[in-house]
Amino acid sequence: MAADRPVKARPPRGGRAPRSARRAATGRALRPWLLLAPALTVLAVLLFWPLARVVLLSFQDYGLRQINTGESNYTGLDNYRDILGDSFLWKTVLPNTVFFAGACVGLTLVVGTLVALLLQRLGRVWRVICSTVIMMAWAMPAVTGTYVWIWIFDPLDGVVSGGLDGLGLIEPRETNWFTDRWSFYAIATLNVVHHGFPFVAITLYAALLTIPRELPEAAVCDGAGPWQRFWLITVPTIRPAFAVVTILSIIWDFKVFAQIYLMPGGAGANEDVLNLGVWSYIQSFSRNEYGTGSAIAVLLTLLLLAITVVYVRALSREKDEP
Amino acid sequence: MRQSFRGRASRTALRRLATGAAVLSLGLVTACGGDDGDDGASGGPTLEVWIMEGTNPDAGPYVAELQAAFTERTGATLEVQFIQWADAHDRFTTAMAGGELPDVAEIGTTWAPEFGAAGALTDLAEQIEADGLGDDLVPGLYEAAQVDGAVYGMPWYAGIRSLMYRSDIFAEHDLQPPTTWQELREVARQLRVSEPDMIPFPVSGGSEYGLYPFVWGAGGEIAEQTGDGQWRSAINAPEAVEGIEFYTSLATEDGLSVAAAETWLETDQLESFQNGDSAMVINGNWTVNTLIADDPAWADRIGVVPVPGQDGGFSPSFVGGSLLGEFGSDEPELAWELISMMTTGEHAAAWAEQSGYFPGQQSLLEEVQQEADPLVAPFAQAMLEAGASLPVTDRYGAIQGEQVVQGMLQSILSGDRSAQEAADEAAAAMDETFGG
Repeated sequence: MAADRPVKARPPRGGRAPRSARRAATGRALRPWLLLAPALTVLAVLLFWPLARVVLLSFQDYGLRQINTGESNYTGLDNYRDILGDSFLWKTVLPNTVFFAGACVGLTLVVGTLVALLLQRLGRVWRVICSTVIMMAWAMPAVTGTYVWIWIFDPLDGVVSGGLDGLGLIEPRETNWFTDRWSFYAIATLNVVHHGFPFVAITLYAALLTIPRELPEAAVCDGAGPWQRFWLITVPTIRPAFAVVTILSIIWDFKVFAQIYLMPGGAGANEDVLNLGVWSYIQSFSRNEYGTGSAIAVLLTLLLLAITVVYVRALSREKDEP
Repeated sequence: MRQSFRGRASRTALRRLATGAAVLSLGLVTACGGDDGDDGASGGPTLEVWIMEGTNPDAGPYVAELQAAFTERTGATLEVQFIQWADAHDRFTTAMAGGELPDVAEIGTTWAPEFGAAGALTDLAEQIEADGLGDDLVPGLYEAAQVDGAVYGMPWYAGIRSLMYRSDIFAEHDLQPPTTWQELREVARQLRVSEPDMIPFPVSGGSEYGLYPFVWGAGGEIAEQTGDGQWRSAINAPEAVEGIEFYTSLATEDGLSVAAAETWLETDQLESFQNGDSAMVINGNWTVNTLIADDPAWADRIGVVPVPGQDGGFSPSFVGGSLLGEFGSDEPELAWELISMMTTGEHAAAWAEQSGYFPGQQSLLEEVQQEADPLVAPFAQAMLEAGASLPVTDRYGAIQGEQVVQGMLQSILSGDRSAQEAADEAAAAMDETFGG
């Protein structure tokens, strides 16, 4: 305030703005913030404060005793040092998280795009039927869906092993797909893709509707085949929608939890299949080491931020080029 | 505990917000119902108690009677809330963070050292001694509540696992229930031949309690306390490994189990027994009631024997059960009154009978054994003669949370590791937790 005074005392040369006008300008500048205030307050309470708490927790050795007494117990970077120095992170948890998310995002996008193209070509009745079925997959809660997939792949009573047994391909009494890292994640991938593709399909279908009809027609006249029409017309037009569903899929698939945790062996008994989300949960809630769990959660967040930033920058650069 | 109470109340709101929010942001919030322990309308003090849902299949009448008796005796109101075993541990943790713990609650035996070390539970040693109850408590259960001289809970009820078998199928093929480990293997082998569609003896990778009798039965220990009070794992010592080897070899060498069981939990194993797929399982006495409640014909189909010892006798089995703990109540006398009402005498006996568990009072347990019910007495005998407890330290709770033993079992059963390799890894993981 004190620093302001001399400026105020000596109005700028040619300063035609009297006090009332300046106040109006301030008011105009403030107004959007006033309107945003309720939403920002909610965000601060629901998002920023918990985020800050997790970061604070991640610098502490925080167990049940601290929860009960409310004391703090700062230990600096110890949690991060432990986690980053643990070969388990680099050999198991991180590869599981990254490759699983990569596979899920890729497959979700491919399946979602194909279904969106299908919806575009279908007649009205079939479109309604198909989109209803898709919506049902989407509406299924992750927990229920996971139990259904577990049942489908149950080695003794599941439909898949029943079918393969009928064909004489496997011996159900000697089969268990949940103990092996690859087959475990194959089932989890099916589950996540099945649950995630409807959102992609519906969003992209909506985007497809915005393509003016003349474009593909003109392309047909020019002799473009379906493959060329897809890559040269469809993809560039709906690129923004692609960007959105890709980023959202990345975020969702990196932090998959229930679909792993609920699978047989996924809650910690099978170390080979842990991902960052489940590892963080086990450290916090099964071992009562909330500090370590929070540090893992922070690392997961940073990883996601990094990927998203790189992706968004790559996209904007691409957009500037042509 | 009581001095810290004022400070606790003032911090409560902030801490509730903070931790609730922290939990939320991990995206892992489990159901945490809000409840405010208001005083009852009647004007007298109100005591809040948490009981696990499902132990007693029809707990309504018991609770009504308990509430009436408690009000009559003390003039206070008793508020009972049922919570789910599955998320009970998280409920307690979040309630601790929010300062919303009940006055008295049922806790699993393995949680006593954990919550005790956190300072959430009140030491009941004085009250137990003053009432002269100490000598009449079931040892395995009482031990589980004792940490460094403090007693963090009063034994309420307990159960034990024994070997359950299909008596109808045994009779059909003229088989006798096993009395040694070798007989267990032999009987299972014969079942594999005579009942090829059944699983003779599922070895469940997700159930640590099926393994422990074999570790203890071979003379091994899970962990031992050294002179300075530190715990060290003993799961990779020769005796323990011998037990692990025997138990897992039933699956890996003799093919008496199925691959699916590598990831089975105890509940999956019970389900396979109930569906008629399995011929023998190690399961708890409480499941007998569940089976018979579903289909009374089970009474003629099940037989029970204590888990056989290596060369006769019994293999020790884990006495699992519940304690009643006091969470720093501001009405400690009322809380103890309630605890002693529920854990001794008629209310304790009624609860045990209705739930299919055993009372935590030795004298009541002996009465049960003398009734000589063929589906109850073998369990009671196992509990009196071969009851064992897990390492009593809060660190073992963390080891269980991490599922170290299940991980060891699964890696042996799936063929990734030999028993010794897997046990060495498990021991290293345990020692890391014990040391920290």
